[in-house]
Amino acid sequence: MPLPPDPKGVFLNVPYDVEFSRLYVAYFVGLCQLGLAPHLSSEIPGGGRRLDKIVELIQSCSYSIHDLSRVEVNVVSTATPRFNMPLELGMTITWQILNSDQHTWFVFESEQYRLQKSASDLNGTDPYIHDGTPQGVFRELRSAFPRDKMPSVPQMLIVYGLVDSALNSIFVANGTRNLYARSVFKELCRLSFSLTSHFFPPAKPAV
Amino acid sequence: MPRPVAHITAPWPTQEEMERYYPVSEARKKALQVLVDEFKAKLSSREEASVTLIEPEKRRKRASAA
Repeated sequence: MPLPPDPKGVFLNVPYDVEFSRLYVAYFVGLCQLGLAPHLSSEIPGGGRRLDKIVELIQSCSYSIHDLSRVEVNVVSTATPRFNMPLELGMTITWQILNSDQHTWFVFESEQYRLQKSASDLNGTDPYIHDGTPQGVFRELRSAFPRDKMPSVPQMLIVYGLVDSALNSIFVANGTRNLYARSVFKELCRLSFSLTSHFFPPAKPAV
Repeated sequence: MPRPVAHITAPWPTQEEMERYYPVSEARKKALQVLVDEFKAKLSSREEASVTLIEPEKRRKRASAA
C-alpha cells in the first residue's frame, strides 16, 4: 500500500510539445501560486518500467489535472493519435475509484463540448475550459482549487511574465532548450514559489 | 453534474518542502535567488509590472521572426 498522498501534490498530465508551452508554464506557475506542488512524469528518472513510476507518482499526489485539449491527431508527421494523456487519465480514474478519499482528478479542455466527442465515456464529468490561454488556465485553476487567500488572475499573470522572461537564462544554465526537462521544471517551480511570496510575504518560500 | 472542486486548506509550502519537491544545487539556488531579487525589485514598481505583462508575447514574436 502506498504512503498517504501529499495534500499539496498535483500530478500534471499534459502534452509535452512546443505548441503547448505557454499553457504548460501557466499550469505550474498557477499551481505554485495556489500553494500546490506540481509534478510531471518527466520528473521520473530513467530505469525501471515507466508506467509503474507514473502510477507511483499519481498515487503520491492528492490531485491530478488532465489536459485533454491536445489529444488530436498530429498531422505534421505520421498521423498518430496522442494516447498518453487519456491513458494516464484512465489509470488515475481507476486509482480514484479504488481509493475515493485519496485522490481527486480534474479534466481541463480548451473547447466547450469537445470532450463529449473525444471521450464520451466521461459524459457527466464537466471539464474546466481554459480557452487555450494562460489567463484561462489561471481562471480555471482558481475555480478548481479555491483557498482562503489566493492571488488574483492579474497577479498570476505578472508572475507568469517574470517566470517566462527567466526561461532563456535557465535554459543556458541547464544546457538544454527543452522546456519539459526535469532540471528546467524544478528551477521554474522554485522561481514561481519564490515570486509568490512577493504577494504573500508570510509564506516566504525563498529559493 | 457539478465539476469537482478541491478546497485547499493545506498551509503554504515551507522552504523545507520546496527543497524536497524541487532540489537544485547550491550554485543554482544562488543564481535563482539573484533572479528573484531582481524580479521583486521590478514588482515593487507597478509600472514595471504592467510592462512585464506584455513581454512574453513580444519576446515570442521576436524569436519567431528571427
